[in-house]
Amino acid sequence: MENFHIEGSTYIPRIDFNASTGVLEIEGESYHEYTMEFFQPIFDWINEYLKEEGRNITMNFKMSYFNTSSSRRFLEILTLLEEYQNNKGGNVTVNWYYEENDVDMQESGEEYADDVELTFNLIAY
Amino acid sequence: MISKVTKANMLQEKEYLEHFSVKTFKDQLELNHILLAFNGMFTQEVLTLIGKTLQSTPNSQMISKRLFAIVIEMAQNIHHYSAHKAYSEKDEKEVGTGVITIGSDDQYFHICSGNYIKKSEVPPLLERADYINELDKEELRDFYREVRKAPQRANKPGANLGLIDMVRKSGNPVLIEIEEVDDDISFFILNVKINKEL
Repeated sequence: MENFHIEGSTYIPRIDFNASTGVLEIEGESYHEYTMEFFQPIFDWINEYLKEEGRNITMNFKMSYFNTSSSRRFLEILTLLEEYQNNKGGNVTVNWYYEENDVDMQESGEEYADDVELTFNLIAY
Repeated sequence: MISKVTKANMLQEKEYLEHFSVKTFKDQLELNHILLAFNGMFTQEVLTLIGKTLQSTPNSQMISKRLFAIVIEMAQNIHHYSAHKAYSEKDEKEVGTGVITIGSDDQYFHICSGNYIKKSEVPPLLERADYINELDKEELRDFYREVRKAPQRANKPGANLGLIDMVRKSGNPVLIEIEEVDDDISFFILNVKINKEL
């Protein structure tokens, strides 16, 4: 399966999904006016990727800012990964990176960690 | 001698200035310590510009980020839900118009947004704000997560989380004011304040 890449900008995050290593990375800022349209190809890729059972997946979030629409999309991604782990023998680790003094970003990570049953690492940098 | 054309121009100019005083405008901005104001279409470019401006405004990085987050949520509400729209060449669609200002006093930054909305949308908004304003920090967190988990509302681009996020990020209640316009439309004003010191 092809890798998936979107170059980041001031309002869209850099997306780097590596099909062979299973490292999926979202980094930067996310406040596209049309969040659903922006995320659609990302969901299409993930859904295709999760068709094969038993993959080892590392999902990295390295966000500096995201709006509430993106917040909802992130939960949807995490929920897909949770279902994959529960039903298709997947093995998923989530790494949530936050800037050391960014208490809000840290809290966001803690909340996602409570929302899904996945190995969830909160990593300050 | 002044030509006829120039005379006509001057007359037009005079009429315009009767409705608009730069001096009054400047005084208003200064009286309210307005750091930033934008009126019009809230396009992606405008948001990016506001973001860059705010990143260098207050002293604290955390407060800048929170200010920015609040402004983005307000701007996106206007973009998607304002009853007054204009055609954006860039977006190739109609986008909402409105106004956002960021001002300050000794203690707070005040972020205000204003836009026209359908009258029928007012009661649920007021009810939502009243409910959210009563919640404490923990309850806000739980309510945010509960709403985020609920399915995306049909035909609505937003996450239904904006007001909750504004109260969480600002640490203060939101204040809504409604001005009557006509039978169908009202002017909706949203005020959020955030402490200057963490």
